[in-house]
Amino acid sequence: MRRLLLTIGTMVFLTACYNAPDASRTSAGGGPGTLAGAPAQSFDLRRTDGTTDSLARHRGQVVLLNIWATWCPPCREEMPALQRFARENAGKVVVLGADQGESAQVAAAYAKDRGVTFPILVDEAQQYGRAYAAVGMPTTVIVGRDGRVVKGIDGAMTLEQMRAAVAPALKAK
Amino acid sequence: MSARIAALAIAALVIALAVAQDVYPQTPLYHTWQYALALAIGLAVVLAYANGARRGEDGAAGRRLLVAMAGAVVAGVAGLAAGLLGPDTASVIGTPGTVTPVPALGAAAFFAPVDAESLARGGAGVVLRRRNAPEITLAPGARRVLGESLVYLEPRPAAYVEAFDARGAHLTITQPVGTAFLSPVLLFRDRQRIGGFEVPFDTFATPAQHRVLRALYFTPEQLRQFAHAAAAVDTSKPAVIVSAADDTGKQLGITIAASGSTVTIAGIRLRATIGSYPALTIASAPPTWALMLGIVLFLAGIAWSVLRPRSAAAAPAQPQGA
Repeated sequence: MRRLLLTIGTMVFLTACYNAPDASRTSAGGGPGTLAGAPAQSFDLRRTDGTTDSLARHRGQVVLLNIWATWCPPCREEMPALQRFARENAGKVVVLGADQGESAQVAAAYAKDRGVTFPILVDEAQQYGRAYAAVGMPTTVIVGRDGRVVKGIDGAMTLEQMRAAVAPALKAK
Repeated sequence: MSARIAALAIAALVIALAVAQDVYPQTPLYHTWQYALALAIGLAVVLAYANGARRGEDGAAGRRLLVAMAGAVVAGVAGLAAGLLGPDTASVIGTPGTVTPVPALGAAAFFAPVDAESLARGGAGVVLRRRNAPEITLAPGARRVLGESLVYLEPRPAAYVEAFDARGAHLTITQPVGTAFLSPVLLFRDRQRIGGFEVPFDTFATPAQHRVLRALYFTPEQLRQFAHAAAAVDTSKPAVIVSAADDTGKQLGITIAASGSTVTIAGIRLRATIGSYPALTIASAPPTWALMLGIVLFLAGIAWSVLRPRSAAAAPAQPQGA
């Protein structure tokens, strides 16, 4: 009987040590900087010119994907540099804009007004923004010829920063 | 005889309690001290009987039942250890279309993208990507044992929100305080007390219109408690109560939105499709091999105890017939 009580006592003690779980404990992903090396997700979307385009259609080329919106002040500040970068790297780097959550008319009117000539995807469902872990706008993603993310950058970039960001992808075979 | 039957019944109960962790992992019972105490007392009774049977207190039948008792102890200890030593249950809430690292599994979880229709159906899944191992696709309702962890998907309330301006132009949805800035899917991670209920809520913004919106998720049962809500929407389905404020925090209005219907608030036309999106839940669970071994030993011990007396009774008949 004494042995039984001792056994029960030991087990009650162990039970008291029971580490009750916290069901509310969660974890979540990081920003675009964590995506380097990951396969680039692609979504078929309509462009402001009415044609369909996606990241996957440019496989084999270096792509600079810019996630932006017309209402976003840093995106607007970055746009002239992005347009200049697209022009000076024509044939070497594909520049794709992905307007987040806005209608085609809004994005097209903005592009026409600001002289933006690189293709703009109309991403009403904000798929590229979600997939590339955008934690703010603009977010820029460099995709290599192998279809993998080379670099993800949060925030507006200067022309020099854009050149530096694509340089490793252009050097890679 | 009665002690033997009681010990067998408790041994079966111990095994059932341990197996239940694998079969019904969602039950919060396993994470209570009461569950651990019940298992501990059951094990103590089984061990006490086994100790007496080993010394011959329950005769030859009791000795043969030692195998069955060993089975209960194996399963029971595995169940107790999973609760005492295993990692806490954790839910990984991922935004649709994103990848979230899950260090506990040495994997990354890819949460499937959803549109409004698939969110309403609640059929989205999660893919676990592990280094040097094949991908594991988890569908709603499916469960997988990975090492000493049991992983499964738990549906959580979610809403896919779309916003339009007065001319019908689509507006960007952002979640400035959420983990996914550009997601139109509300996952209702936080809870707020309102009208005697604790309801899930989420916040989002339409920066182009300088609006910050707060959506509270109400179940049909909760909706029926509010007379004004019951009059405004179909109370057989969940709905969201949305309040709007401007950039300075000035309140601009409140409305209730049924799933899929378009409502206007603070100059914004808003459509919320309500459904569910899974969270990846990781629970510690007794190893399957330990449970299987326990069950096999338990059944083998009972079979040996039942069959042995018959064969022993049949054995003297052979010389007579010879």
